[in-house]
Amino acid sequence: MLEIRDLHASVAGQPILKGLNLTVKPGEVHAIMGPNGSGKSTLANVLAGRDNYEITGGEALFDGKSLGDLEPEERAQLGLFLAFQYPVEIPGVSNMEFLKAALESVRAAQGKEEWDSVTLLRKAREACKQVDLDAQFLKRGVNEGFSGGEKKRNEIMQMLLMEPKLALLDETDSGLDIDALQTVAKGVNSLRGPERGIVLVTHYQRLLDYIVPDFVHVLSGGKIIKSGGKELALELEQHGYGWLTSGDNGDNGKKDQTA
Amino acid sequence: MSGDTALNLPEDLKTRALNNARQATPVEALAPLRQDALAALEGTAFPGRKTEAWKYTSLYALTDGHLAARAEGAAPADLPTLSDYRLVIVNGRLDEERTALPEGVTLGRAARRLEGLTTPFAFYNGAALDDAVTLDVAANTDVAAPIQVLHVAAGDAPSHCNVRLEVNLGTGSRLTLIEQYLARGPVLTNAVTAIQAADNAHLTHYRLQADAGDSLHIGTLLFQQTGVSRIDSYQLMAGNRLRRNDVRAFLDKSGAELNMHGVFVARDRSHIDNQLCVEHRVPDCTSNQVYRGLAGEKGRAVLNGRIHIHPGAKGTLAELSNKNLLLNAGAEIDTKPELEIYNDDVKCAHGATVGQLDALQQFYLQSRGIDAAEAKRMLSLGFVNELIMGLPDQAVADWAQPWLAAELGGRPGADEEAA
Ligand SMILES: Nc1ncnc2c1ncn2[C@@H]1O[C@H](COP(=O)(O)OP(=O)(O)O)[C@@H](O)[C@H]1O
Ligand SMILES: [Mg+2]
Repeated sequence: MLEIRDLHASVAGQPILKGLNLTVKPGEVHAIMGPNGSGKSTLANVLAGRDNYEITGGEALFDGKSLGDLEPEERAQLGLFLAFQYPVEIPGVSNMEFLKAALESVRAAQGKEEWDSVTLLRKAREACKQVDLDAQFLKRGVNEGFSGGEKKRNEIMQMLLMEPKLALLDETDSGLDIDALQTVAKGVNSLRGPERGIVLVTHYQRLLDYIVPDFVHVLSGGKIIKSGGKELALELEQHGYGWLTSGDNGDNGKKDQTA
Repeated sequence: MSGDTALNLPEDLKTRALNNARQATPVEALAPLRQDALAALEGTAFPGRKTEAWKYTSLYALTDGHLAARAEGAAPADLPTLSDYRLVIVNGRLDEERTALPEGVTLGRAARRLEGLTTPFAFYNGAALDDAVTLDVAANTDVAAPIQVLHVAAGDAPSHCNVRLEVNLGTGSRLTLIEQYLARGPVLTNAVTAIQAADNAHLTHYRLQADAGDSLHIGTLLFQQTGVSRIDSYQLMAGNRLRRNDVRAFLDKSGAELNMHGVFVARDRSHIDNQLCVEHRVPDCTSNQVYRGLAGEKGRAVLNGRIHIHPGAKGTLAELSNKNLLLNAGAEIDTKPELEIYNDDVKCAHGATVGQLDALQQFYLQSRGIDAAEAKRMLSLGFVNELIMGLPDQAVADWAQPWLAAELGGRPGADEEAA
């Protein structure tokens, strides 16, 4: 469902991704790990279509469509979802009003039946409960005054409602205590299924104890320098990234890609 | 813009205003006021291009001849009902059939001379009035429900009307007043509203300006807090061909409190000029002003917020905040706090900003499947929503929310006009 080939991308004119390859098939869970500044969020933002994140070479296909040609909302309507590393606060726009607009648009585009406001409210409350977020948060401004953990739960809550085909989670684990981590992991696991792809971007392997990935990739210097199974995460945990990044492992990504 | 060379617009306006005033049908109850105002008008110049207080607002539109005719159109049938009690004023004249007032409020048809109003349009208003409405709220009366005053102006050709409303709150009285302006057609409403509050009076005031785009409005709102009183004023304004709102507030008794909240929206090619002036003349009064402005397409908005703290006004607390949002590069907002402080023992805070929609917020909404136009609409509504959510009367909020949402969505034809 996601096919990234030799992707080059710049942020505000600065090259960050330098030949990245990744294939995600339905039902698979991939983890992308890598040191700070290696380009993980850049990849997530490029895929979601953020302004100033420009594809300069290669391609990223989602269900055969070139993402670079699509507006961010079109990508979401096709079933792509990004849980942000830093969810933005939007005072004055209530969470509920926001969910209503998002779900109306996405469900209509996907030919799903429209939810009336009673159904929407019920579903939203259920989703809140699933991530242990008080339903009062539905009335507040989007992420307005939420703690770091509440913002992350709010992202997962939205994801549960939007039922994306492909979910990208950018450091959803950072800033969460162990209870919150388990709650969030449970939410993500509940979404796992044969039709869905999940890409977890994370700095630590901690999250991977709870959401066990099928594949683990190491991103460094704007490309994937190593790929493997879930045991690769444990190796990284023990040895850090140094043993991978010190040598010149430039093109391992392509060969080790197990997909 | 070359009108001024062919004719002298300020002179022309003055001549017309004087002629209109002299030829107006006499009204006995208004005779003393009209005489006074006419004398004042004779000694006052209309603003021209060099007049500082009119720097951003040209009266060129009035060369269409609005002052040459009185508005005579009929009021639309479907007027909004925000309360059981209401007055309908059509082209400046009270519609007696449609008057419903609660107990404790007395209706009068005279008007008084107003200290502190010295603009030519306010003088012209006084000098050429056909009618005036005065509401006296009896002492210690808690008026049961809001009074809605509908100012309707209608006409098919350029014309104008003079509208006058005076409200006097007696000692210990409480009132909610909803002033709603609904002009239809190329009509200039020249309005004066004067509100006086005695000791322990509390007024909640709304000024809802939903006039049609081709109408014009030049208005003055005067608050005279002669007693230890509290006024909470909520002003919601859509731009039209020319909207000029002067607000003057006098805090004249220690302990008086004034809170003003405003939202102004200038879309398409519309114009809004807010001139606020709060006068702290005695010690220990509080004023708090929060305005949010929004302009899109070729809309133009102005806010000048003057706070004048007189030498004797120690212990004053005065705040003014004006945040503005520009939806695109063709729109313009000029905002300026103007502080004149002649006492050291005061707390005065002010802030004015002009910004654009936040790109990251917009991306966040779009990343959830919301298209760009809808995302912009949601964000601009969010920008003013805080004030709308804070409206204390549900009936007003229920009316204001869809109205503002429509204003923020852009009116039909907005794109062609802006192109
Ligand atoms: N908006 C931006 N403008 C310029 N450089 C950026 C911007 N965002 C990220 N970068 C740079 O891109 C590189 C990759 O950052 P990022 O993708 O956030 O890494 P990660 O998520 O792996 O920590 C870093 O060097 C960072 O400084
Ligand atoms: Mg990151």
